[in-house]
Amino acid sequence: MATVASFEIAYRQFLDPEGRVTGTLPEFARDPAALLPLYRAMVWTRTFDAKAVSLQRTGRLGTYPPCLGQEAVGVGVASAMRPEDVLFPSYRDQAAQLWRGVTAVEILLYWGGDGRGSAFTGAAPRDFPICVPVSSQTLHAVGAALAMKLRDERRVAVCCLGDGATSKGDFYESINLAGAMQLPAVFIIANNQWAISVPRSAQSGAQTLAQKAIAAGLPGEQVDGNDIVAVTDAARRAIDTARAGGGGAVIEALTYRLGDHTTVDDARRYREDTEVSRQWELEPIVRVRKYLTVAGAWSKADEERLLAESTAEVNAAVEEYLATKPEPPAAMFDHLYEKLPAELGAQRQEASGEAGGHA
Amino acid sequence: MPEVALVQAINLALAHAMAADDRVLVLGEDVAVNGGVFRATDGLLQRFGPRRVIDTPLAELLIAGMSVGLAAEGFRPVAEIQFTGFIYPTLDQIVNHASRLRNRTRGRLTCPMVLRSPCGGGVHAPEHHSESPEAMFAHVPGLRVVIPSSPSAAYGLLLAAIRDPDPVIFLEPTRLYRSLKEEISDDGTALPLDACFTLRDGRDLTFVTWGAMTRDVLAAAEALAADGVAATVIDVATLKPLDMQTILASVEKTGRCVIVHEAPLTAGFGAEIAARLAEHGLTSLLAPVQRVAGYDTVMPLPRLETHYIPGQSRILAAARRTLEFA
Amino acid sequence: MKTFALPDLGEGLHEAEIVAWHVSVGDHVVADQPLVSVETEKAVVEIPAPWSGHIAKLNGRPGDRVTIGTTLVEYEENAATDAGTVVGALPKGEAAASAASNEVAGERVPTGVKATPAIRALARKLGVELGAIAPSGAEGLITRADVERAARSLSEAGPPEPLRGVRRAMAGSMTRSHAEVVPATLGDEADVDAWPAGADTTVRLVRAIVAACRAEPALNAWYDGKAVARRLHQKVDLAIAMDTGDGLFAPVLRNVQARDAADLRRGLEAMKKDVLARTVPLEELRGATITLSNFGTLGGRHAVLVVVPPQVAIVGAGRIAPAIVAVDGQPAVRRRLPLSLTFDHRAATGGEAARFLGAMIADLQRKD
Repeated sequence: MATVASFEIAYRQFLDPEGRVTGTLPEFARDPAALLPLYRAMVWTRTFDAKAVSLQRTGRLGTYPPCLGQEAVGVGVASAMRPEDVLFPSYRDQAAQLWRGVTAVEILLYWGGDGRGSAFTGAAPRDFPICVPVSSQTLHAVGAALAMKLRDERRVAVCCLGDGATSKGDFYESINLAGAMQLPAVFIIANNQWAISVPRSAQSGAQTLAQKAIAAGLPGEQVDGNDIVAVTDAARRAIDTARAGGGGAVIEALTYRLGDHTTVDDARRYREDTEVSRQWELEPIVRVRKYLTVAGAWSKADEERLLAESTAEVNAAVEEYLATKPEPPAAMFDHLYEKLPAELGAQRQEASGEAGGHA
Repeated sequence: MPEVALVQAINLALAHAMAADDRVLVLGEDVAVNGGVFRATDGLLQRFGPRRVIDTPLAELLIAGMSVGLAAEGFRPVAEIQFTGFIYPTLDQIVNHASRLRNRTRGRLTCPMVLRSPCGGGVHAPEHHSESPEAMFAHVPGLRVVIPSSPSAAYGLLLAAIRDPDPVIFLEPTRLYRSLKEEISDDGTALPLDACFTLRDGRDLTFVTWGAMTRDVLAAAEALAADGVAATVIDVATLKPLDMQTILASVEKTGRCVIVHEAPLTAGFGAEIAARLAEHGLTSLLAPVQRVAGYDTVMPLPRLETHYIPGQSRILAAARRTLEFA
Repeated sequence: MKTFALPDLGEGLHEAEIVAWHVSVGDHVVADQPLVSVETEKAVVEIPAPWSGHIAKLNGRPGDRVTIGTTLVEYEENAATDAGTVVGALPKGEAAASAASNEVAGERVPTGVKATPAIRALARKLGVELGAIAPSGAEGLITRADVERAARSLSEAGPPEPLRGVRRAMAGSMTRSHAEVVPATLGDEADVDAWPAGADTTVRLVRAIVAACRAEPALNAWYDGKAVARRLHQKVDLAIAMDTGDGLFAPVLRNVQARDAADLRRGLEAMKKDVLARTVPLEELRGATITLSNFGTLGGRHAVLVVVPPQVAIVGAGRIAPAIVAVDGQPAVRRRLPLSLTFDHRAATGGEAARFLGAMIADLQRKD
């Protein structure tokens, strides 16, 4: 008997939960100052996220999926992308979207129930909006990656998905095509250990989710998803390789969903508080603060200023969101087709005139 | 001008579109090297190369989903689903994404894709190869649903579909693929979308139909003419958005309407047309609107399929019922 | 209510400034989760939650200085209720769905007219009443031919003349009568051969009615079909049917039981004059307790007349003419006055009607 194929899945971590360096730091991270923008972005994201939850609790935002605990994955991945690359998010990728230029107001508008939230008037004009049907964004990513390859563009499609999403056919079909056609598609699995109430252990019999890449002919690796350095490093390597024509990759970032699935979910129904408390000890922001503080790159004043600034900026965005008037009912008919078909004119008229509608 | 069959007309339209606009791509299973199992994409790979004509893995959901990604990035993908029996996995991507991308991004991203697939029975095919799913797609806001009834219609409508900036489901009647030929001038002239075509004019009764049944309805109109009954035959062509004006104008003149479709009766697209006739044309009707359609059963295997697909006797009986009503 | 106070942060500090809250009211927090960042002299410190639980209240805003030992956070005792969803908000209601009846609704009473909308529109256009058409289609369907045929007949008949005024009122009251009254008719003859020449027929009839009302008051009454009650009248207010070019009038001669013949004649003349001049006041057309139709002056002998509710009787007097009758077993020529009494059988019996008629005849057969 001969072994015709075998695989290895590597795991990388550079900063441990206490902020101590555990391996040789990659080039870009040697200067602690390089982590400052990343740290700021993570703190800003968390401030925004907490505020969004608070808005929902006070009836001013609809159902919202908190990204608490996953800030390093989003910031790390997005920071490794270039403006011309395209992000295909799930619905819990606020950290990546904010880095990419989606405004806080837009995110609030979307979860506040206003379709203008997906208009992305700022940067990243080709980024896809958040995706609700789990895993379906993987197909869009691989289609875009094909577009990039067909045109010989040095651009990469970056797709974020969760551990649950890797169970779907969409994911398998996407990585399969990426492998079959050597496409510049990088798949980031933010494995936060929970798909609503289903733990990772019940989601798949595979030892790692990263190894699903092997079945598609793609490289796969695991990183500590709460280590901003490890995430950024892995994302850079994969994205740069894809950009250079080296094909796609799958990165499994191990993290934890510290909040509920959504603001209407109550995670206590299916997981123990003690488990969550333990996970708080591994969270991504504290370790970077500690590292930077020890390295002399971050002071108390810096922290205070950062908290105050991000709070103020988030509050300003909230004010702007709350002041935004709803669209008129006729907006339902906008952008349905390039040109609204004649047969819908009467309906649009009715919607414009109707006061109130269904209670 | 050459006489071409419907499937050849598809081929000509694809070639014309691809030559005129290098954003147009063809993708699907067996479309490149094999030229498509029905040869609809025959010769395209040789002419346009592997970057324009792409064989995908066997994955219908992928075909539809990657088309969304390609379209958002500025291509005009014309994706083939080998048989409409396999079109159902695409519903997730068509309904949840293709039909909504423009709307939910407020026009920032659009989805100018065409999903084409052979539909309908009458070709002695095994199970699942004779579906008529047009009503399911017609129910989705933001989509166009187009079904040609002849080679010239296929040529002109497919060109229009490819040029349209929004997603189009293009269903090709399998049993018409080779059964009739027409002269086609391959000059890139598109037919209008969102418009019905009146193939025959007559003041006594209005037939409304689409796809392969159009041929059977035309034959029935001939038979009626021999009996002194002059029937109008309207080929809907674009089911969604529907050109109801043409149908209403005709029924106003004739007062009698018979809708014929192969797809099962209940919640078939004929129901939508009948409802609109009741809403807007009631006082013109001299008799109840008739629908002649496939039975509400699973499409049977070949031995029974000729009993399933509406034949002349059922079509003529419906016509007679409207004529003898009052 | 569990409370959590600002703990001693060390370094001999008494207070700290709140920099940022990390949780919101209503959140479920777990132990060790960061609650708030506070500023001390040396650092910005993240204070973790001491226990798991639900946040009920946060004390203090960013910028506030809080003393060690002051309550920072209040926890709720009771856990939040299950929302029963992970997205959106399901409307809650206590009300039971109203017991929608699954019984088949009462049968719709068909109007009897079956026609397609196009045919209905055609009928309207041609001015044809669908109810008046005999349908020739299957199962009573009105066809186009039916409508066109009816339209042709109508056009041959000339344009419809809408009834107005008295004619219209008559149509209305006759329709109502037909709908309510249950009529029965009794006929007989009075021998008036003994009357002197020049006898005032109408006055004699009025007198005979008075006598009959006295003998059988049941026919001088009003009947209320809804209440199923009758009201017998002491007075006799007699409506006299009058035929004019404009139509049928029935002015009322009041209190005839108290008036003598001359007064009655005067009253009749005045009435006739007023009717012809169309100056009869409205009250004079109302409130009759019984009606007399002396149609014999125009022609006809017997009639089944129409009772006008709320009255219960109408007396019809036919043409006085000589006839051969048996007198003492021998044929003789006698002048005879035919009488028809139509009464509402809901309110009066045949016996009462017979006695009434008998009393009338007895009075009429007197010489004067």
